[in-house]
Amino acid sequence: MRIVDTKGQLCPAPLIAARKALKETVDGDSFIVLTDNKTSFDNLSRFLSDNKAKFVVIESEGVWTLTVTKKNGLGSDIKAEEYCAPVISHFEKGNYVVAITSDKMGDGDAELGHLLIGNFIKALKDLDRLPQHIVFYNKGVTLVAKDSQVIEHIKDLEKMGVEIHLCATCVNFYKLESSIAVGTLSNMYSIAEILASSGNVIRP
Amino acid sequence: MVEYGGCSAKISPKQLEEILKYLPLPEDPNILVDIDTHDDAGVYRVNDDLALVLTTDFFPPVCSDPFEFGQIAAANSISDVYAMGGDPILALNIMMFPASKLPMEAYAEILKGGFDKAAEAGVRIIGGHTIDDFPPKYGLAVVGYIHPQKIITNAGIKPGERLILTKPVGTGVILAGHRLGMASDIALEEAKRLMKLLNKSGAEVMKKYNVRGATDITGFGLAGHALKMAKASGVSIIINMKEVPLIGNSYHLIDDGCIPGASFRNLDYAEKDIYFAPDLDYNLKMLAFDAQTSGGLFFSAPSEKVKEILEDLHTAGLKDSKVIGSVIVQKEKLIYLNN
Repeated sequence: MRIVDTKGQLCPAPLIAARKALKETVDGDSFIVLTDNKTSFDNLSRFLSDNKAKFVVIESEGVWTLTVTKKNGLGSDIKAEEYCAPVISHFEKGNYVVAITSDKMGDGDAELGHLLIGNFIKALKDLDRLPQHIVFYNKGVTLVAKDSQVIEHIKDLEKMGVEIHLCATCVNFYKLESSIAVGTLSNMYSIAEILASSGNVIRP
Repeated sequence: MVEYGGCSAKISPKQLEEILKYLPLPEDPNILVDIDTHDDAGVYRVNDDLALVLTTDFFPPVCSDPFEFGQIAAANSISDVYAMGGDPILALNIMMFPASKLPMEAYAEILKGGFDKAAEAGVRIIGGHTIDDFPPKYGLAVVGYIHPQKIITNAGIKPGERLILTKPVGTGVILAGHRLGMASDIALEEAKRLMKLLNKSGAEVMKKYNVRGATDITGFGLAGHALKMAKASGVSIIINMKEVPLIGNSYHLIDDGCIPGASFRNLDYAEKDIYFAPDLDYNLKMLAFDAQTSGGLFFSAPSEKVKEILEDLHTAGLKDSKVIGSVIVQKEKLIYLNN
């Protein structure tokens, strides 16, 4: 087995040697890295885990022996999904913006209108193409407060990559500064810019 | 002359924070800024129109030429005053030099480099102190003037604003790569030019546009300093790493495993507060933690002013200045690192 002896070397030299060995090793094969420096060992461990290499460690008399096995590919083609906390895959976005201007959808009974806007926001998540941005203004910003019935759906949309913009003046007007749970506070210039530069603005 | 690593020679931010939290902060209404907000310098009010900005920084050599090392160390020390929006006025030399091991000409050259850079900044060096020690270390303790109402701090960035960076990132990687013979001479020269470049012109643009929140990027890396700003300002920050300008072949050096130890220290300190996008490129991620020596200014501005600000920065010679992220309302994580 190939032995990469980095004893006596300081970071980043051991990493460079390990990286080179990792590049030159075929999938499923193993090599050994030796180091006699605790910091280099810590950094090597971190680097190897980050690069999805499996390794076992034996420490003896101040020398760490890492037996590294290469798994499917390395470095740039590694997908970080598996070790980064919340899993978010890529969602397609369409060329449109949604403007939520009220806490109700349509004219008529208030309770019904409120239910409908909630269903609308929930339904957005299931569309093949998500909006680029959702802009909340006037009474619409109340939907983004902590205690809103639809807040979880709006949070999901943001996690899916939709930019949530809140009219800062409206947030102040409805005194929601301390209860806003999601989104970016934007001024009217930014909101106008978003609406003006979008091909389609949907106002439910 | 021996080379070490500039700001990567900093003590681990994690250890530092552990120790600082047990030190009593002096209570005095005239102390306008202290370490409480993780700021670049302290600010003390003298009267209603004048406050003093105080800061110090020193480190071991980052390059083999002692004159250039002096210039870089001085530019780096003075930078903290610029990052607060102050005008640097006076400084003292801080030097550690092994008189029995290195020629005294090198000592003189370091000081000359420091005086040269200080003069460019309009700073008068009026004294200093030297200890016999190896390896050499040099820097300045700097005093600046500032108006008490016009202080720019880590705590001043606001949701909705865009974040601008005035110098490319990668000095830590390039310096480490150069020591191992992996960085090109062109990349090293570019890194040295940037480290010597005063943040003066960038600070003038910040002042012109009444910027309220800024820092300079040094030993804790881009993500580390962004985290300090997000904490102090009570916001979250989005950084788009593909927008961050990089020096020379620093991306490829990281790809070859040339990742300085300081990057891992910085990552270790900051990662619990950071959301890493699932598709974030590993090399860009590690560059976000690369310890910078005399790095650029990092500040926020309302989006409608960004275009003018960038034009002014480019005109002032900071041609790499760019929008690299934005400020959002505080969420679960303080930093969101995207590709």
